[in-house]
Amino acid sequence: MTETQYETEFILKYWSKFRNILADGIIIGSVNTLIAFVFTFISPLKDFLVTFIMVHSLGVTISLMLLLSLWVFRPRTWARFLLIAGIDIACGVLIGLGAGMILLQQVFAIGVDWNTNNLFGQAVIAGIIISSVMLYSFIAKIRLQYRNAMLEEEKIKRLALEKETLSANLRMLQAQIEPHFLFNTLSNIISLIDTKPDKGKSMLLDLTKYLRVSLSRTLPEKTTLSQEISMIKAYLDIQKIRMAERLHYQIDVPDHLWQHVFPPMLLQPLVENAVRHGLEPKVEGGEIIIRAARENNLLKIEVADTGLGFTDFDQPNVGIANVRKRLHLLFGEKGKLVMEENQPQGVRAIIEVPIDDV
Amino acid sequence: MTYKAIIADDEKELRTYLKKMLAEVWPQLKICGEAANGKEAVKMVDDFVPHIAFLDIRMPGLSGLDVAKKIAGACRIVFVTAFDQYAVEAFEREAVDYLVKPVTKERLQQTINRLKKQLQASAEPPRELADVITQILAGFQKNRRTDDYLQWIKTQHRNTFRLISVEEVDYFQARDKYTLVMTSDGEALIKKSIKELTRELDPQKFWQIHRGTVVQVSRIEHVGRSLTGRGILKLKNRSDTLTVSRQYMHLFKQM
Repeated sequence: MTETQYETEFILKYWSKFRNILADGIIIGSVNTLIAFVFTFISPLKDFLVTFIMVHSLGVTISLMLLLSLWVFRPRTWARFLLIAGIDIACGVLIGLGAGMILLQQVFAIGVDWNTNNLFGQAVIAGIIISSVMLYSFIAKIRLQYRNAMLEEEKIKRLALEKETLSANLRMLQAQIEPHFLFNTLSNIISLIDTKPDKGKSMLLDLTKYLRVSLSRTLPEKTTLSQEISMIKAYLDIQKIRMAERLHYQIDVPDHLWQHVFPPMLLQPLVENAVRHGLEPKVEGGEIIIRAARENNLLKIEVADTGLGFTDFDQPNVGIANVRKRLHLLFGEKGKLVMEENQPQGVRAIIEVPIDDV
Repeated sequence: MTYKAIIADDEKELRTYLKKMLAEVWPQLKICGEAANGKEAVKMVDDFVPHIAFLDIRMPGLSGLDVAKKIAGACRIVFVTAFDQYAVEAFEREAVDYLVKPVTKERLQQTINRLKKQLQASAEPPRELADVITQILAGFQKNRRTDDYLQWIKTQHRNTFRLISVEEVDYFQARDKYTLVMTSDGEALIKKSIKELTRELDPQKFWQIHRGTVVQVSRIEHVGRSLTGRGILKLKNRSDTLTVSRQYMHLFKQM
């Protein structure tokens, strides 16, 4: 469909609403009455009733004809539309005048001598001018509405698209499960089934919890900090069995923050990063401390480890890059991730998110 | 003759498991040592002179491959890995013994049968293993470092060091011998010249647009042109603009 066709459809749709017809009818009526007043003064025939009836008869006839021809022909181009409108106006003026005359004679019994001062010719010209101006202003009004409607539609489409990309990105940016971790964990469980079945069972439960979140395709946009921490605990407990004395962890979240809203999978990659690049490759192992605090209207969460530090950071780090992207998608400039050297050793990753938007 | 073996794995539970499986498959084999990291493994090989070493690839300190390189020729080696695609491919190709975790009894049986045959054929472990391992290690490094460009920039922030990912950087600006790193969070000065930086950064992502300016391409919002023919760059979420000298304007020709 071409643009014009769209517009014609839009005009028809616009006038198919009774409310719009009524509103436009009232406008036409009042404008016609106004014109009748003006004409009573300027035309040689100083008779209000005659001008009033003639102008209204013209207005109604032309409007109806336009509506009808638009509906029947549905012009595809502006040239055709103008042609049809032109014919409508020409015919409408003649029919309108004729109808007006008949109305005057039959109903009001007023005979007008149309030949004096070429009154008929003047009426025709006045009718054409008036109806063209009115037609133009109506089309302009409707086109404006059409443009706005299109813009609105575009905007809705764009917003929908943006939202889609956002959630797609969020889904994409979820932590990827490291196969090494998965297979080592499974090996541990297999071994524990024989030696310490209870321990094996709890490890399997932790793995299930971890996988349920990590593999989830429809991650909620928001969960609570306690949910995120419980997933992290599951992960750390698995690692604790694997690394035994080489791993210690501590979670320090004040009571009032536990139920705080927080996006999932923001903290988890930082913890995995601390284990994978900080503690796992370190012979003595070390400790991870997770702390959360509220500072003014910021929620600050810190993951500090005593691992190898920045030495293992030459590689592009997908997990960290994803956290950064997610923060950006969720909070724009307000979400921050700072990676610092921990004292005396290791890395400290600090996430800052605005508390109102969380 | 009784054969001796050591097991090296940083995970205690997995050492226990392998030991138990070996006891079932090859009861005569004597496990003379269990190492929790690479260094311990090397030491045990020196101390106990085992016939076989089961080496986990990923261990803290020295990796299984590093250990193998050191002890090649001293004993036969079976690698154990949870998931190292590249290494497994290399082992297949070079006919090196390996096991994947979780270790299954059937697979262990196969490996042991092969080992027994080799041990009976010759007590001396093959020397050429060292070369094979060197090759695999080289490939490992290469494989891991496909993306050799600068990823992190270490900056001093008050009393601590901070890591800035290059992805965060809007642009770099030369300041004498130093360089100013501009991010949305602020700026930091690093002791690296812009010349050095341009050599280390990914040229696909970072463009030099001026003698003293390198910009991250994805941060460019639009390019305008000044009356003198130089380009004016407007960056996303930034109020300051950058000048593109005429020499570098060709970069923006297609934009």
